[in-house]
Amino acid sequence: MTSISNTCPACSRREMLKIGALTAIPLMSPSAMHGFRNQVSIAANGNTDPYPIPWLDKNGSHNQPAGPNLEPSHVYHFKGKVARCSTFTGMGTDNEGNRIPFGGPTTDYGVMAGDYWAARTTQHANLTHI
Amino acid sequence: MLPIPDSDLNISPDGNIFTLEMKDVAVVDQPKWPALDALATPARMSFKMVWKSTGEPAKYEDASKHFRFTGFRATCQMEAQVEVPSIGFSWKSDPLDTSKCDVAVIGDEVNGRYYDS
Repeated sequence: MTSISNTCPACSRREMLKIGALTAIPLMSPSAMHGFRNQVSIAANGNTDPYPIPWLDKNGSHNQPAGPNLEPSHVYHFKGKVARCSTFTGMGTDNEGNRIPFGGPTTDYGVMAGDYWAARTTQHANLTHI
Repeated sequence: MLPIPDSDLNISPDGNIFTLEMKDVAVVDQPKWPALDALATPARMSFKMVWKSTGEPAKYEDASKHFRFTGFRATCQMEAQVEVPSIGFSWKSDPLDTSKCDVAVIGDEVNGRYYDS
């Protein structure tokens, strides 16, 4: 005859019943679930913020000046209307009457109006980079 | 990057004029940017910008970077005013039609996952 021995100490019928009863306690107690209800659910691959252009991170601003053959959008996975401009020249006056110019190569603005992909779905927004 | 309320952006039906006008936008005044020790002071800015197509076509495409822009070269002018309350500074530009910029485009773009569709 072949002997049968139980090598798993927690696998007896009595132990399994104990574990089952302990597992059921949170389900029977609404207060035990309170902590879970307070958690904010988020998308598994991030929130609805737009993706930056992947290779534009030389100075951490995810930006490059507007120019010929340079991508106008500041958002990746984007389709829609864009407007870009840079290198302004203009004048203004401060609150003490001093005439102060504005503009330069880094005076760079952009508008994006359309769809972008984030949080695993299409988002729609009008965005500006100023 | 800043969301634009629908009321602040107007694109003409033919797509040839973009007008962006925003009030009291929270920004930072950082005169020494991009120096690493550049101080950033909270400020507010109101501005109006107008892009107008010149009619000269512009197309930029780079398949390796997955982007395609199709549109027109443009002019762009702006007027603005800035307040930096903590240092008692404010500044207001001359009227919009006195400014100019060297580079501007308007049009349509697809990139990333939309490039091949």
